[in-house]
Amino acid sequence: MKNKIKFIIYALSPLFLLNCTDLEEERLDEAAFGEQAETISGALAPAYGYISWTWRHTNYYGLQLITSDEAILPYRGGTDWYDGGKFMAAHKHTITPSNSLVGAGWDKITTNLSRTLSAIEVLTPLSEAGNAEASGALYEMIALRAYLNMLMLDGWGLVLQKETSGVLSTVLRGQDAIDNIESDLSSVVDKINSNRAPGRISQSAVWGFLARLHLNAAVYRDPYGTPTFTSDDMNKVIEYTSNIISSNKFSISPEYFDLFNDENNSNPELIFALDQRGVLKREHSRWAYWSLAGSWFPRPEHPSADGTDGPAITSDFYQTWVDAYGSTDPAEADARFYQKNTIIPADVLADFEGRSNLLESETENSYYCVEPTEFEIDRGIIRGVLWGPRKGSNGKFDTCDTGVKIMPVKQRKGNGPDRDVGYVNHTRQVDFTNEGSYHNTGYRVAKYQFSRTSPNGNNYSSVDLVLMRLAEIYLMRAEAKLRNGDSGGALTDVNTVRSSRNARPAQTPAALTSLNLESMYRERGFELYWEGFRRTDQIRFGKYEDSWTEKSDSDPNNRLFPIPQKTVDAASGNDGFLEQNQGY
Amino acid sequence: MKKNNEYCIYQSKRYSKLSLKICLAFLIAFVPMVGTYGNAENPKDLKIQSAIQKTISGTITDDDGMPLPGANIVEKGTSNGVQTDFDGNFTINVSDENAVLVVSFVGFLNQEIEVGNQNSVAVQLMSDAESLEEVVVTGYGSQRKSDVTGAISSIKTEDFNRGVVANPGQLLQGKISGVNVTATSGEPGAAQNIIIRGIGSLRSGTTPLFVVDGFIIDNSSFGVTNPLNFINPQDIASIDVLKDASAAAIYGARAANGVIVITTKKGTMGKTEMNLSVSTAMSNISNSVDVFSAAEFRNKVPSVGGTLNDFGGNTNWQDELMRTGISKNINFSMSGNVNEKFSYYTSLGVDDQSGIFNNSDLKRYSGRLNLNQKAWDGRLNIDMNLTATRNVNNRPNIGSSVIDMLQLNPTIPVYTNGEPTVIQDLLNPIVRNEIYTNEIVNNRILANFAPSLEIIDGLTYKLNVGVDYSSTNQDMFENPYNELEGYEDGSLYNRFTLNTNSLIENTLTYNYTQGDQNVILLVGHSYQEATYSHKIYESEGFSNNGIEPRYQDQISSDVLPTTLNGSAFINEQQSYFGRVNYGYANKYLVTATLRADGSSKFGANNKYGYFPSVALGWNISSEDFMSDNETFSNLKLRASWGQTGNQDGIPSKVSLASYKDTKGENDTYPLSGTESSIDDYPFGTVPVRTPNPNLQWEVSTQVNVGLDFSAFDSKLSGTIDYFNKVATDVVLFATSIDPIQPTASNWTNIPDMEIQNSGIEIALNYNGSMGNDITYDIGGNVSSIDNKVANSPFQILTTGAATGAGQTGATINGYMNGEPIGTFYMKEFIGIGSDGLSQYRDVVADGESLDNDRAAQGTALPNMIYAFYLNLNYKSFDLGLNFNGVSGNKIFNHTKMSLFSTSQLGRNLNTTDFATLYPNEDNSNANEVSTRYLEDGSYLRLNNATLGYTLDPQIIGLGDFVQNIRLSLTGQNLFVITDYSGFDPEVNTGSDIGGIQTFGIDRFTYPMPKTILFGLNASF
Repeated sequence: MKNKIKFIIYALSPLFLLNCTDLEEERLDEAAFGEQAETISGALAPAYGYISWTWRHTNYYGLQLITSDEAILPYRGGTDWYDGGKFMAAHKHTITPSNSLVGAGWDKITTNLSRTLSAIEVLTPLSEAGNAEASGALYEMIALRAYLNMLMLDGWGLVLQKETSGVLSTVLRGQDAIDNIESDLSSVVDKINSNRAPGRISQSAVWGFLARLHLNAAVYRDPYGTPTFTSDDMNKVIEYTSNIISSNKFSISPEYFDLFNDENNSNPELIFALDQRGVLKREHSRWAYWSLAGSWFPRPEHPSADGTDGPAITSDFYQTWVDAYGSTDPAEADARFYQKNTIIPADVLADFEGRSNLLESETENSYYCVEPTEFEIDRGIIRGVLWGPRKGSNGKFDTCDTGVKIMPVKQRKGNGPDRDVGYVNHTRQVDFTNEGSYHNTGYRVAKYQFSRTSPNGNNYSSVDLVLMRLAEIYLMRAEAKLRNGDSGGALTDVNTVRSSRNARPAQTPAALTSLNLESMYRERGFELYWEGFRRTDQIRFGKYEDSWTEKSDSDPNNRLFPIPQKTVDAASGNDGFLEQNQGY
Repeated sequence: MKKNNEYCIYQSKRYSKLSLKICLAFLIAFVPMVGTYGNAENPKDLKIQSAIQKTISGTITDDDGMPLPGANIVEKGTSNGVQTDFDGNFTINVSDENAVLVVSFVGFLNQEIEVGNQNSVAVQLMSDAESLEEVVVTGYGSQRKSDVTGAISSIKTEDFNRGVVANPGQLLQGKISGVNVTATSGEPGAAQNIIIRGIGSLRSGTTPLFVVDGFIIDNSSFGVTNPLNFINPQDIASIDVLKDASAAAIYGARAANGVIVITTKKGTMGKTEMNLSVSTAMSNISNSVDVFSAAEFRNKVPSVGGTLNDFGGNTNWQDELMRTGISKNINFSMSGNVNEKFSYYTSLGVDDQSGIFNNSDLKRYSGRLNLNQKAWDGRLNIDMNLTATRNVNNRPNIGSSVIDMLQLNPTIPVYTNGEPTVIQDLLNPIVRNEIYTNEIVNNRILANFAPSLEIIDGLTYKLNVGVDYSSTNQDMFENPYNELEGYEDGSLYNRFTLNTNSLIENTLTYNYTQGDQNVILLVGHSYQEATYSHKIYESEGFSNNGIEPRYQDQISSDVLPTTLNGSAFINEQQSYFGRVNYGYANKYLVTATLRADGSSKFGANNKYGYFPSVALGWNISSEDFMSDNETFSNLKLRASWGQTGNQDGIPSKVSLASYKDTKGENDTYPLSGTESSIDDYPFGTVPVRTPNPNLQWEVSTQVNVGLDFSAFDSKLSGTIDYFNKVATDVVLFATSIDPIQPTASNWTNIPDMEIQNSGIEIALNYNGSMGNDITYDIGGNVSSIDNKVANSPFQILTTGAATGAGQTGATINGYMNGEPIGTFYMKEFIGIGSDGLSQYRDVVADGESLDNDRAAQGTALPNMIYAFYLNLNYKSFDLGLNFNGVSGNKIFNHTKMSLFSTSQLGRNLNTTDFATLYPNEDNSNANEVSTRYLEDGSYLRLNNATLGYTLDPQIIGLGDFVQNIRLSLTGQNLFVITDYSGFDPEVNTGSDIGGIQTFGIDRFTYPMPKTILFGLNASF
């Protein structure tokens, strides 16, 4: 019997041994570290590549835009853009810590910061070993970190300082936060490249960041109080902006809307812009398509390239143009307000003007014919009835001899009385009432071109996203001069910008004769509308607690966004590490 | 009678086969009744009470000669009976020498003894090894029910739900207390949520562990709607559900959700049998949604301020898009046992289930071969099980079809001039059915080989090796359709999934008995490796040449590029386990188990988890003091404590750091500024995961106290269990503590967080008879479950994404401290205000309706599930009714939120009258997630009802060939009592966020069918 047992144990032992495992996990479809990237470009590309995602319309861009008075996004017709109420709350300044727009903005900035930190960790040892290319890349990443931290400071009043990924971040607020950003920027400003603009951060961009930091330092130092602008800060603004201006590397674009066209990468006004070439799906044209009517197809060569009936400008923001130009239509007075591209033949226009805005009144003279690729929509602030191609019941554009029929755009969206029977007619009033939320309400912003490389109007765009340009630099210098008491110098800078928009001489904005803080604020609105500056401007000029359409909140605590609840929850294990902003 | 026969034959000649069937049924129904008529008065059956009394005594022993205490001795045909004492002795007074004693004991074959002139008898009962009646299959072995200390519920073939059944889950529904089986939809072979004793995890890992004939099924994705569809339900002999930690802990780190042990049929001793079963079933939608008819629609659209688009038709789109599904099933099996050395069971099955949508069916072709060979006087015992299945599943475009049939304008005629009507830039659903195909073909083989050898008396070594191989190909495509913009290109989505799961286990069992003491020791080692891979090809741009896109050549273009994605992983599991069963005199039972489970999924610092359990059992009815008790024939108290783990739903590799080089979106950038194509773009190195070397399983600690009883001559039996289960080390893909992390979220165990489940389960059965002809079985079960989350550091974990225009980011479920998993977290709708807009309760009283006004509004998970049944046998007829129901739960009717609003109606889209409930509601009022769409989900369903008739083959002259013929008529889902307004309250079609499970959301769900099945079963 004993032999039998022995035999069996021996016989079976291979079975036991055969299957002993250390349980190391095998990777079949991934590598621990990638094998294809080059060290430097591999570190740099994801940090740069992510910025356009950070600035996506439903991330940081929407957060900056909708909270200001320059845009409003109602629940269109009870069907579109409600999205859990995040946009309405953002506009009303009733944001809660679980608002997903705030969450998205925060997440993208922190992820972008983390990618930048990873790049810094990769590049630092190479730089220390004397690799000049790595050093150059490192300076850009340090500047990018400072830029992202400045976005964070602007939105949430804090900076997350972290030198190595293994340690817990340090939360800095107020002057500490400003110092941290300034120290990062100052450490590279004299070493960073001076020739890579606009797709990469150059010395001019760093000067620009420093100017922005000092322009807003009074707010960042004391976000809830009344800002005290020190002459020291203002002098710094003047110094840095003058560095850029006197470098003569940049010049103001005569045609304002060229700044936002497919070919804008070569526009000499751009200092820092996200390079988009129509190669990647997420080269977004969302800044272009978000606001436009969902019934509008601005590119007749692409039958699915429509708008979304997103945000409109508030009637209050429109009023600032009216206030500035009085009885003259701002479209005639200011080249930045509007550019006419759709030229309707006189007989068709006469036919249109002779009819009611109803489909049933149309005749065979109610359209004209164009080659799809030659059609171009108007730009700037879009009012009234739209013109464009129209789809038949098979979903295809109605055609004619030489191309597509261009007609007044039929309203196909929403629940308004115009649906399926009338034209899309953008009205001035837009608010959160039933009528004010219809799909046609509010003037729209077609500042960015509907990219020709985008088959659907939102992806594969070639329009670079403009984050810093020379006009802003002039306006910063003007404001600093004004706050330092040099209103003459300020006026000169403002008029330099205005008079340089001279591609269409009839609409070149007339020179201002005087300048005060009120008109300075207004001028920034005209030049920089819908580029992500308005909320910051409103806070700096003390306007953020004012009332405007659907917004009456006046709590200074709402100048800063709440830290997302899930972040506060996750950090709750570390007492005092990351406290919620006051008032939330 | 004769006349009737003639009539039938006459009819059958002249008319269809159907009438023949009806006549046959008629005959079958009448003949035996007539046959039994005369017997009632037969004097032989009258018992003449005799005054003569005879006393007889004896001893009952088991097959090893050990005395059997508690065995029953009954004088046949009377209620006169006694039980053996502790030493297996008995004494009984019988009427006379003609008396026959029937000796019975649980787990043994009955024996009849003719008294004759004997005064004492010695009876040795043969153990009924083949009978599964009282044997419970536990992990790595089986036990007599009386020896079991854990909470295990078993059901056998005859108790299964009947009708059109695609998988074991459907067999189980409502059958076992504490087990909540919910079909996610009414699609043939739909996925199910099987939840044993409440949800113990936030993530999708709440599926129990399935063990088929000793082989542990991997819970990875198989690329099919329900991986269990591969098992032919007719091959299943029994299903045992291991509910408490004592029973399940032997399966360690995968057992926290309970274990379902499936045992397939084997050859039966002394019986060679062939069995043919054939059935045909008809399914129709059980409950339509009451949308407006064309006539109503013509009135309603203008009444809400819309301009009616009248296309002149009168279409009921629900009728047009639904059909009567005809399902067929043929199953043939053979089984037998040769010389008690070789037994076999083999079967072939073809199951063709048709859904109530067009393009919706599930075909299964399955074969099984189970063999057992014994040698060396039974010391060597070799089991082999092999099953091969091919499943072909055609799935319709469910979401679009449901939306179309509910919201399409009913004045649109289906066809115009014989062609499907062209609907303003919408696809006519008739056309969709023609151009859309989604076919999933799964081939699967499960085989295991398990030899065991009794080395010395009581010591058995067993090897179990097996493999489960599955390949799934999915072709989802749309033929090009030129008549509508956006459909010209055609598209193809092809997914190929491969799973291989291999297992090797070595166990040693030592069974030792001395006197009253019995010890069974089990030690074992197990190694399992599951590999998974899939490839997904997506392409667009096909020719409209009449060839399906899947069979076309396609050339990738810049505009319509082909994409290919691959994914693969290997999960390894290595375990060491042991168990001690100790019994004293069949009264006092102790079970202790320990499993050390290692998994490759766990972090480097936590490769092995240890899962102990201990359980006590007390057979009170075996105590001396109970020997006089005539009420209880069985009374057992059980108590257990144990820990089990859960690693389900933790994806592979998540504990490891990973970086990838990619040119993906936002990962690359034209650094030189001269790039013109993706080739010029640099690779970016981006983090995929943050490492967590401490990642480990979730731990579930469970206490169970249970009582089993049978009383009144075993007529009434039942089980009561109380359990308390607490899950800790909850795994979550959670936001990182530091916002600046390589990844914003990472996989981690949340310290202190708990998910608590406690409840009471009661199951009762009463079998009785009325007269000689009627026997019946009546019973049921009820379970209450109290679930809640505790010590969560998160204020709220939201999931259940609302989808549709304007709903981005909106959520429906939210889990927080003090509330159960499945909680609905939303605003409370309080009516329509004077402005025509929805009003919500202002929870945070700031005069604003914000997301901080959301609150817990009830849960999707019932706090009570129940079922009851009646089985009635009258002569050759049998009737079975099975009801099941739930209460205390709510359902979020997402379909209603998306479709049934005034806004939709105003836009010429159909709705129910829910849309017009508030006359002053404005057209632009928001369909915001709120309690407006939350409904009571309680229901009571007649799950299945079967009327059967067993025909004596002698009567139709087939006695020489056929042993048994059974005809049956089964109705499934004959009615549901519920207040829920959707198709059916049994639903779960939400979409989760961040892997956190969602429950109780009904979004465009495939409706539930009502099915009538006619079945014929013959054995030879």
